[in-house]
Amino acid sequence: MDNLMSEGLSLMVFGMGFVFVFLTLLVFATGIMSKLIAKVAPEAPVPAKSAPVVAVAAPAGDDELVAVMTAAVHQFRKD
Amino acid sequence: MDKLMDLWHASGLYNITGGQAFMILIGLLLLFLAIRKNFEPLLLVPIGFGGILANIPEAGLAMSAVENAIHLGGPEMLSNLAAALHISSTEPEALKHAYHLADSASHTAAVYAANDHGFNNGMLYNFYTVAIASGAAPLIIFMGVGAMTDFGPLLANPKTLFLGAAAQFGIFATIMGAVSLTTLGLMDFTIQDAAAIGIIGGADGPTAIYVASLLAPDLLGAIAVAAYSYMALVPLIQPPIMRALTTEAERKISMVQLRHVPKTEKIMFPIVLLILVALLLPDAAPLLGMFCFGNLMRECGVVDRLSDTSQNALINIVTIFLGLSVGSKLSADKFLDIQTLGILVLGVIAFGIGTACGVLMAKVMNKMAGGNAINPLIGSAGVSAVPMAARVSNKLGLESNSQNFLLMHAMGPNVAGVIGSAVAAGVMIKFVG
Repeated sequence: MDNLMSEGLSLMVFGMGFVFVFLTLLVFATGIMSKLIAKVAPEAPVPAKSAPVVAVAAPAGDDELVAVMTAAVHQFRKD
Repeated sequence: MDKLMDLWHASGLYNITGGQAFMILIGLLLLFLAIRKNFEPLLLVPIGFGGILANIPEAGLAMSAVENAIHLGGPEMLSNLAAALHISSTEPEALKHAYHLADSASHTAAVYAANDHGFNNGMLYNFYTVAIASGAAPLIIFMGVGAMTDFGPLLANPKTLFLGAAAQFGIFATIMGAVSLTTLGLMDFTIQDAAAIGIIGGADGPTAIYVASLLAPDLLGAIAVAAYSYMALVPLIQPPIMRALTTEAERKISMVQLRHVPKTEKIMFPIVLLILVALLLPDAAPLLGMFCFGNLMRECGVVDRLSDTSQNALINIVTIFLGLSVGSKLSADKFLDIQTLGILVLGVIAFGIGTACGVLMAKVMNKMAGGNAINPLIGSAGVSAVPMAARVSNKLGLESNSQNFLLMHAMGPNVAGVIGSAVAAGVMIKFVG
């Protein structure tokens, strides 16, 4: 029984340790890759492919628009 | 009159056991949850239906040819089987036991003996052999998941990989939980069982099924049902933990917009990941290899047809067979056990601990980055459960600050969690497989 417990404990320590080591290495590898690519093959048409960024920004823009329009309508009614 | 009696003795009503009736009810419950409550319907409809099919009395859909022969065959059949398996007893239980322990030669001899008497594998048994026992279905699904995954948010902020790593602590803490229950004498799990139960905390269906099929095939039904049910419950399980561990000010933190990630980086990432797997953890190669392959097909842009097939038609076909095969493991003798209760409880604990560790890690990273850079809510997305967990982070962020859209920021830890749980799966297969 104690044997099982120690097996579990070593699995936890080694397992969690390995997951962290692996993903840390992946962070570094990814960082190096990004830097290399930025240096060796910089992308020319940057604005063409920014679809996801636009998708995130759009709702915020809409809210701003709504706020501006509400203010304008308010102003109009007050006048 | 004899004919009438034969008909009655062959009917399901005459043959049904209490366990089978109960398991059919469980199957119906899964169907109800899937259809009315929208719990992961794509998986739980086939699983629930497969569970009902597997428990139809006398049909033997989930049984192998030999098991069917033992159950339905006459005395002559039983003595033939006993001869093939080299045992003297013709008791059904003894035969089943000998069949499971038999070496390949007597195993094959028993199968031939059963085939000679006209007994064949049940349909679901064949599905299980082809889809899960071979390891094919979870891996093909993982390829499809790879083809659906956009690593853009992760590449824009690679540090979120740490969140995906932290959330895997749920897996390993649950292993300790299962082992402690055994040590206390409450349950009877081996270390392999414990590892397979822990992987529920990875919140990743195909990984859980893959690991369970290798380490604890007997528990596969319960583990798969627990994994998919809890993934559907992520919007209920996570928010209380996230609220308890963060302050209102932390939840209000809005994060800077992610940088644009060039196409070349997205193409190179699966290759870098694959090289790292090849160098460090070959045991995770089946899972992460298929994942990287699917992602490369998506990002390279020259095989759109293949990418389209793997993320639509193929994943759908495989899901049908995977679900039915998992359902075939919902047999009364395996599922109606105190262990299933233990698996369900440990599974939700795994989810909870994973969520908590992700959030705590995000808090630490936020402190290290100056206290206003990382919203801790995105940490919970590290448990994978793509994209549900990221949506939960986004929803909680919006509750505190209606201008705070965390979805894209949470997608980074979310896909990091998929990599993290696959790595954890590889480690466990390496250590206890």
